[in-house]
Amino acid sequence: MTPNIAVLQIEGPHFHMPRLWLPIFLLWIPLILLSPFLFLVIFGLCLAGRVSPWRAIAVFWAIVCSLPGTHVRVSTQNSQVLVRIL
Amino acid sequence: MNENRRQILEMLAAGKITADEAERLISALEPEPAATVGEFSGRIAGSNGGKEATVKTRAKYLRVLVEADETMTGIKGPTTVNVRVPMQLLRAGVRLASLIPAQAHQQLDEALSRHGVPLTLSQIKPENLEELIDHLEDLTVDVDSKEGNATKVRVFCE
Repeated sequence: MTPNIAVLQIEGPHFHMPRLWLPIFLLWIPLILLSPFLFLVIFGLCLAGRVSPWRAIAVFWAIVCSLPGTHVRVSTQNSQVLVRIL
Repeated sequence: MNENRRQILEMLAAGKITADEAERLISALEPEPAATVGEFSGRIAGSNGGKEATVKTRAKYLRVLVEADETMTGIKGPTTVNVRVPMQLLRAGVRLASLIPAQAHQQLDEALSRHGVPLTLSQIKPENLEELIDHLEDLTVDVDSKEGNATKVRVFCE
């Protein structure tokens, strides 16, 4: 399942940011529009590196689809960073 | 005392088996230990109310918890890091090694061995990594620092 929403929150000693719910699924629109150009770049890089472009795309796709459920929270006494991918 | 155990003890008394062999036979007769984290023992629906079965539930996430104090981080106050990573992401991530060009393997192996990591990338196969990740589900690491330093690290699967 591709990631749909990213939750981001950064708090510092002098600022407080509300929790942002970022709609990642909206990124698919520009990605689809740019896909021909991106495929050309990926194919070129893979052929230059003597790597199978299909395998590279498959690995990248597997990584993207396994991102949902990632949860990172770093907190100190005065600050906090929260990243969640749903 | 059940019949099997009695037979083993009789064989031991008759001198047919040694004490070590008797102990091994008795241990083999003992029932499975109680269900541990990640295992479920119970009746399976539709199993005619008879036998119980043990079903191992696969861990879905790898969690890393770090608690460090000022002396470790240099930041005033305690620092907490809580990272949860899907196991699927680890499986997908190890496939990145397959993207490394073959001619780069040797250079990487040399660089790794120079830094004290005797790893041969070309011999790593996907099935080995899958087995490694499967065994990672049983991993639990608890690290407590020495007195005077409140750093803790926990790595476990859930």
